[in-house]
Amino acid sequence: MSSPVLEAKGLSKVFGGLTALDKVDLAVEAGKITSVIGPNGAGKTTLFNLIAGVYAPSSGEIYFQGKPLGKIPPYKRAALGIARTFQNVLLFDNMTALENVMSGQHVRSRYGFLEAAIRLPKAHREEETISLKAMRYLNLVGLGMHTQQNALSLPLGQQKILAIARALATEPKLLLLDEPGAGLNALEKQGLGELIRRIRDMGISIILVEHDMDLVMGIAEWVIVLDSGQKIAEGTASQIQKDRRVIAAYLGEEEKVE
Amino acid sequence: MLAILKRNKWSYLAMVAFLFLLILLPSQWFLGQKTFLLTLIGINTMVTVGLCLLMGYTGQVSLGQAAFFGIGAYFSAILSTRYDVNPWLAMLIAAMVTGAFAYVIGYPIFRLRGNYLAMATLGLGIIVWIMFKELSQYTGGPDGLGGIPNLSIGGFAFDSNLKRYFMVWFFCVCVLLISQNIVRSRTGRALRAIHSSEAAAESVGINIAQFKVKIFVLSAVFASLAGSLYAHHTHAISPSSFDFLGSVMILVMAVVGGLASIWGAIFGAATIQYLKSEILVQLGNNDVIVYGLLLMLVMIFMPKGLFVSLRDVYNGWRQRRSQRGVVT
Repeated sequence: MSSPVLEAKGLSKVFGGLTALDKVDLAVEAGKITSVIGPNGAGKTTLFNLIAGVYAPSSGEIYFQGKPLGKIPPYKRAALGIARTFQNVLLFDNMTALENVMSGQHVRSRYGFLEAAIRLPKAHREEETISLKAMRYLNLVGLGMHTQQNALSLPLGQQKILAIARALATEPKLLLLDEPGAGLNALEKQGLGELIRRIRDMGISIILVEHDMDLVMGIAEWVIVLDSGQKIAEGTASQIQKDRRVIAAYLGEEEKVE
Repeated sequence: MLAILKRNKWSYLAMVAFLFLLILLPSQWFLGQKTFLLTLIGINTMVTVGLCLLMGYTGQVSLGQAAFFGIGAYFSAILSTRYDVNPWLAMLIAAMVTGAFAYVIGYPIFRLRGNYLAMATLGLGIIVWIMFKELSQYTGGPDGLGGIPNLSIGGFAFDSNLKRYFMVWFFCVCVLLISQNIVRSRTGRALRAIHSSEAAAESVGINIAQFKVKIFVLSAVFASLAGSLYAHHTHAISPSSFDFLGSVMILVMAVVGGLASIWGAIFGAATIQYLKSEILVQLGNNDVIVYGLLLMLVMIFMPKGLFVSLRDVYNGWRQRRSQRGVVT
């Protein structure tokens, strides 16, 4: 096993009296698609928010490329190479699709107020690079046709893809995808799966939180199962599908519901 | 690509037309009698643009912009009348002091959001206004300061309304261009991102606290410059120009112009200043009712602002017309 891009040791998060995550240990292998699954309230989104730095852990530590993340604020984690999407998409509604992706380049560009205010050549050069790169990411995810449209005028499926393009534009090493498949139709989900594989092939490690089991089992190379804040199992997709505890806690329930 | 070129062509044309209008406006057969008013509009536009950047683009409310406007005016007035400082230098010092002040209070104040931020900036405006009134050994108390000299370059003094008109609008156009450049840049995107979703803005590496404070400082510096020009334009200042109502006036100008519109600021400042100086003079202090009503009506019926709504209507009409043209 190659060295993990992300590791958590004894990670806990307590909200008031509720233990959302309870001493979770996990390792995410570099260059792989790792999926975190679990019923609602299992602590998946809490885990994401801890990795992204939205909350500080109550105890335990997260290591990114071997270094502890500590209290590094979210915006600096983006610079380190951690990007994310959100369950509720959170596109910038006051921008076009292209501008959304250009915003993603914020962390990889430097020019600031002064250079912008008097339009120094540096600003102009950087702006050109930013828009070219943004265009490339839009084309990569297949939204090259919609550059000038307002982000929220796109259908939900494309909005979710656009959010991935925005995260990609931060040029991450690790991409956190929070339920990218929710609300997508079967065809869109298939495209999404292919896109996630292509991103993996670019050398970006992926953590995928997802409820859609077909999607997870189709693309995940390693699956971690959370239930009530605890890690109950991990393994390859086929191992997980056979794991009795997982079936009891999760998959059995899921099938009954559908 | 073609669309971008086309847009640039139109914006250059609009710019040239705008400058041409600025030069024509004060001529005798146009608005030659109104140069005092036109200069005030330029000054107000500068303050309003700052608030537009802060409120319209970044989504951060400030109900205390008149404080920064006042600090600029008072520093210019005090330094140039009592300490014989060169007025230009005084203006620069004023802007730097205001900027530093905004920077220092910016970090704590922007820990607040929404209504709480509005209340804090409101309080800030009131505190500064009380200081203008009470520090009377410097500020002249409620009576204010008079005898503020004209600005001059070498031997050329800006001693008439017409001369000041051109000077103020020179500054104003600079401020507008700077603002427009910022809005259309990486910084502008960061500001709009913060307005739209702070969580998402952080996720792409935007340092939210820093950007909020920086744009706050910039808006304060714009207001301070405008305040200095105001002091040298009217030659006398008193605290009543920089009270809470002053901040509200700036807010109304920004809202009428359309908060997220740089060029709308001119429209807002012109409309409100014209109403105040020409139409509503007979109402005395009751003119506040009209501004309040205007603010309410605009917010209810045209939340994007009067200027932006009119522009949208025009664009829609043009689009429909061109579509009809294709059909026939």
